[in-house]
Amino acid sequence: MKILVCVKQVPDMASKFTINADGNWYGEQGLAWRMNEYDEFAVEQAVRLWEQEVGAELVVISIGPARCREAIKKALAMGADRGVHVEDENCFKKDPYQIAGILAEYAKGEHFDLIFTGMQSQDRGSGQVGVLLAGMLGLDVVTTIIGFAYQDGKIRVKRELEGGLKAVVEVSSPALLTCQLGLAQPRYPTLPNIMKAKKKELTLISVDDLQQLPSLSQTALVEFPQRRKGGLVLEGDVNDLADELVAILKEKTTVLARK
Amino acid sequence: MEYSREIYWNVGQQVVLPMYILSGVSIVLMIWWGFWRRIKIYRNGKPLSRWDKVAKRLGDALFSTLFQTRVIRSWGAGTAHGLFFFSFMTLLSGTFLVLLQEDVVAPFFNGRFLVGKFYQWFSLSLDISGLVAILMLFGFVWRRYVIRPEGLTSNQDNWIGLSLLLLILVTGFVLEGVRIAATEMDKDLRFWSPVGLAVAASVDDLGEKALRNVHMVIWWTHLVLVMGFIAFIPFSRLRHLILIPVNVFFRDIGPTGKLVSLDLTDESIETFGAESLSDLSWKDILDSDACVSCKRCQDRCPAYATEKPLSPMQLMNQLQALAFAAPNKGSKTESDTGMIEAVSRDAIWACTTCRACESTCPATIAHVGKIVEMRRHLVLMEGAFPGPEVMAAVNQVEINGNPFGLGYADRGGWAKELGVPTLSESTNVDVMYFAGCYASYDKRNIQVARNLIKLCRAAGVRVGILGSEEKCCGEPVRKLGNEYLYQTLAEENISAFKRYGVKHIVTNCPHCFNTLSKEYRDFGLHITVEHATTFFAGLLAEGKLQLKQQAFECTYHDSCYLGRHNGIYMAPRALLNAAGGTIVEMEKNGMEGVCCGGGGGRILAEETLGERMNTRRVNMAMHTGAPLLASSCPFCLTMFEDAARAQDIEENIIPKDMLEILAERL
Amino acid sequence: MKALIVGETRQGELLNASQEGAAFAEIIGAEPVHFLVGDKENLPWVRGPIYLADVSKYGEYSPNVHLSLLLEVVRREAPEVIVFSHSSYGWDLAPRLSLQLKAGQISEVVDVRDGAFVVPACNAKLRRTIRPLGDISVVTLQAGAFGPFQASEGTTTVIDVGTDNTDTITFSGYEKDATGDVALDKAEVIVSAGRGVGEADGLTLIKALAAVFHGEYGASRPIVDAGWTQPNRQIGVTGQVVSPKLYMACGISGAIQHLMGMKNSDFVVAINTDKDAPISDVADVMVVADLKQFVPVLIEKIQGR
Repeated sequence: MKILVCVKQVPDMASKFTINADGNWYGEQGLAWRMNEYDEFAVEQAVRLWEQEVGAELVVISIGPARCREAIKKALAMGADRGVHVEDENCFKKDPYQIAGILAEYAKGEHFDLIFTGMQSQDRGSGQVGVLLAGMLGLDVVTTIIGFAYQDGKIRVKRELEGGLKAVVEVSSPALLTCQLGLAQPRYPTLPNIMKAKKKELTLISVDDLQQLPSLSQTALVEFPQRRKGGLVLEGDVNDLADELVAILKEKTTVLARK
Repeated sequence: MEYSREIYWNVGQQVVLPMYILSGVSIVLMIWWGFWRRIKIYRNGKPLSRWDKVAKRLGDALFSTLFQTRVIRSWGAGTAHGLFFFSFMTLLSGTFLVLLQEDVVAPFFNGRFLVGKFYQWFSLSLDISGLVAILMLFGFVWRRYVIRPEGLTSNQDNWIGLSLLLLILVTGFVLEGVRIAATEMDKDLRFWSPVGLAVAASVDDLGEKALRNVHMVIWWTHLVLVMGFIAFIPFSRLRHLILIPVNVFFRDIGPTGKLVSLDLTDESIETFGAESLSDLSWKDILDSDACVSCKRCQDRCPAYATEKPLSPMQLMNQLQALAFAAPNKGSKTESDTGMIEAVSRDAIWACTTCRACESTCPATIAHVGKIVEMRRHLVLMEGAFPGPEVMAAVNQVEINGNPFGLGYADRGGWAKELGVPTLSESTNVDVMYFAGCYASYDKRNIQVARNLIKLCRAAGVRVGILGSEEKCCGEPVRKLGNEYLYQTLAEENISAFKRYGVKHIVTNCPHCFNTLSKEYRDFGLHITVEHATTFFAGLLAEGKLQLKQQAFECTYHDSCYLGRHNGIYMAPRALLNAAGGTIVEMEKNGMEGVCCGGGGGRILAEETLGERMNTRRVNMAMHTGAPLLASSCPFCLTMFEDAARAQDIEENIIPKDMLEILAERL
Repeated sequence: MKALIVGETRQGELLNASQEGAAFAEIIGAEPVHFLVGDKENLPWVRGPIYLADVSKYGEYSPNVHLSLLLEVVRREAPEVIVFSHSSYGWDLAPRLSLQLKAGQISEVVDVRDGAFVVPACNAKLRRTIRPLGDISVVTLQAGAFGPFQASEGTTTVIDVGTDNTDTITFSGYEKDATGDVALDKAEVIVSAGRGVGEADGLTLIKALAAVFHGEYGASRPIVDAGWTQPNRQIGVTGQVVSPKLYMACGISGAIQHLMGMKNSDFVVAINTDKDAPISDVADVMVVADLKQFVPVLIEKIQGR
């Protein structure tokens, strides 16, 4: 069995964000980097499957600049067999269609039985790459899984829906699954595995060798949302306060617009 | 007439040979059959060199044994043990003096020294010693079998040992009494053996023949009892007579509480920490065997006191039982691979590394290092943590250099409006302030950091910080067992210190202080690191820091890492006094201070078992009646504020960092 | 310009997707066409024709079949923009369609600006404006971002649509959490109680406020410690880390452990008597008031709205 897990390196969301000079993405200064949280769950599930299916091979792939090798190494330390780094300094300029295209170009000759991705990235949050990749490879895909079981090519997953509801879905391999937080608590890599990860095979591929597709959308502008300018302080009569707050909630949030 | 007596009276010189043979047999039995097999078991542990500074070690072992320094620290049972020991040693020396005279000096040099005035006092002191020893023995029996203090465990060793000692002492007096009755009733000398005389008076009318028969029987009984006692030593709790002095000799001689740094560069090492007993050192196994279950550690353990499943004493007992369960195998045995489960994970995670156990242990057992070794196994080999919240915090330390998951770039943000330069802006400073995670990010502790800056400026000290180049010192994650992350952080911090040529660091966090000053030495940091309390106490003494005295009343909590780990008790108190403070001490203070619950990485963990340690300590502070609880550690402050809030007693007792109190009096 | 709006049915219930899509279409000035796998007895009140596939035949979740149905509608209507809700249904189906159409997809749209779409990035710390490059684009809308379209009457034209395709993905039922776990991390609104609620009774007020928002209630550590609620409702470093759309901190001063658990919330309202409490650092709105007086009035206003 061959398993692929796709990971992305993202800034830690607690970082103080700036906007880059071109105004089309965040600036890199002051950011702490980590593996996309959704992908950590994907890696964990992939490793658990790899442990279940003796003799399986688990490959981890990531697209990005040199720093993203840290994310690959983390996946290797968690248990992946080998890594593939698609070197791309400008991956942030690519849209989900192109990113999926690059991954598909790599994966098409490898015939993976199962592919895991995060359901979305923490920075972009498009939630498209996994589904597009599956489509390009002609695989079935189930998104947002929170439960997974595999037996003899049969896959039974739970999709997380809204309001605590789950859908039980069955599908056969080969397939792609996009993983939701809470699927399988990512393990903390053990030190021997961290050491071993340093020696595991890591293939470097230039993005130019894999990129085939044009982009279908383009970032026009990145900006800070207008919020939290020191915070508004409301004081005074309780009745007026309640009116003011309701008005603010209607204007600034969507929570009163529904139901 | 010169006072003396006939040695070997009644039994005659012919007993000398059988006596020495019997002694030889019992001693050989003790050493070969008893201790040799124990030593083999100790050697199942990993090698560790403890042969440095032999003279110091020897001196310490002898001194602390002969003067019972570590035993008598604890009033009551400790005092009684000390008195018993001194008495028994006097009796033992008496016997040796007799042997020395009769079997060495007299036959070979034809001399005698147990005569005259010396003999008078010799007799009296032995008599009194015997009496004291018997009284103390009754005390032991009373405590152990009548009072039965909570947590004191007894087994057959105890009653056998106590009975043997009692019988030896009683037969000794009977022998003396019989001999006096037969030979000394007409001499003044008899008054120098008051207890013996009392016995003599009661047997006086038996007649010489009967007395001689009784004497002969008792003499041999006494001898056999003594030999039996010697042979019993290695097979019972009495082995502490030998093992504790030996353990003191081999003890970790510091720096206090410093952990062993793992060698992570050696790629041939593939296991880390202790999963089984054979992953611990021989000294750890010796520790467990030297434990006499006096329960002083257990009485002081904050985890035990709050119903956690940890007792340092029981930990030693468990390790000892494991070590001796399968005695004849060298490497990992089936029974000892279960060490972690035998001890229990909850027990391993419950420790706050406060060192209350170690600092009180009369056998100088090192409990904390063993627990950290087991934690190292859990974290480094299994990726296990006490809870998901701890794993998340550790991940955050990895990503952002702080356990809160706040952006690393904001680390120096608190100091911006104060105009404190980062070293990247200016290295023209007298000291570097290592703020640590809490003072950098936690709103409450940022106030403390600001006050530290205020105090520095008032004393004319130019201070700079590392800002975003500072990272968690690694103390909590290290104590949780994550040596790898700790070493990564240590190296990054040290390289930042070196980059700016830092020569003098001040920190208000005792955990940072302990780590930077002690633990970072292993990675080549040898500069002056001071805790804020000693730093400001120094400035106060030099007259550079002036405080306006304003009377107030407070109690002071000794942070474990300032007190027991670094012996800093006076500096904070001196500062509080200089600020006009009257300190109402808690019952448990100084060396006996009780942990707030935040040490050992527990600050990052949920306290789900038992009573909360912080609540317990705050209640102790409440009992003093002082309105203010001063402390000098960000963890303590955080724990106390939590406890005061949770119990809604903030009006009754206000937790404050002492730097805040000082800064109010500039 | 024509917009194809994809509706949603879940557990036999018609969801808001059609209404919100209609509101969106109106904003971008597109002529609305609807698609729904649903029940003809329960149709959304919208303008424009609706293509209806029978849910009893095609299922609520059968992505490959729903994709075939959609492709058929797209072939017939040739819309320029296809609108989904950014929901478990929408984000699953939309990329399948966009790939087939080679259309650029913009996910979780919250605003429209000069023919481009605004989406949140990095936990809503940034906003990104994205322009689709082709003739046809697919969007998913953040739930609630476009207020529901209010129609006075139902749709006029219902067009049946069907397919013979079957699915290789099998849906075999819904499952509701049996354990009653509190899904704080999924709640859109969390009203949280701190020590300022006073006594255990104060929590009743907080629960009531959470209920009017259809949200969940949480608590800070002292409340949990005091045993007034279960530990699974604790928010903070040692409890749950949440990022709802609205977080209301009631009587919470804002210890760092707590702030770490909620600082990523989209909008934070703090109600506290102390306006300088640390929570004010992360609060968008700080209401300086006594909870016991303020919360009942607020509940009344929201209900009577």
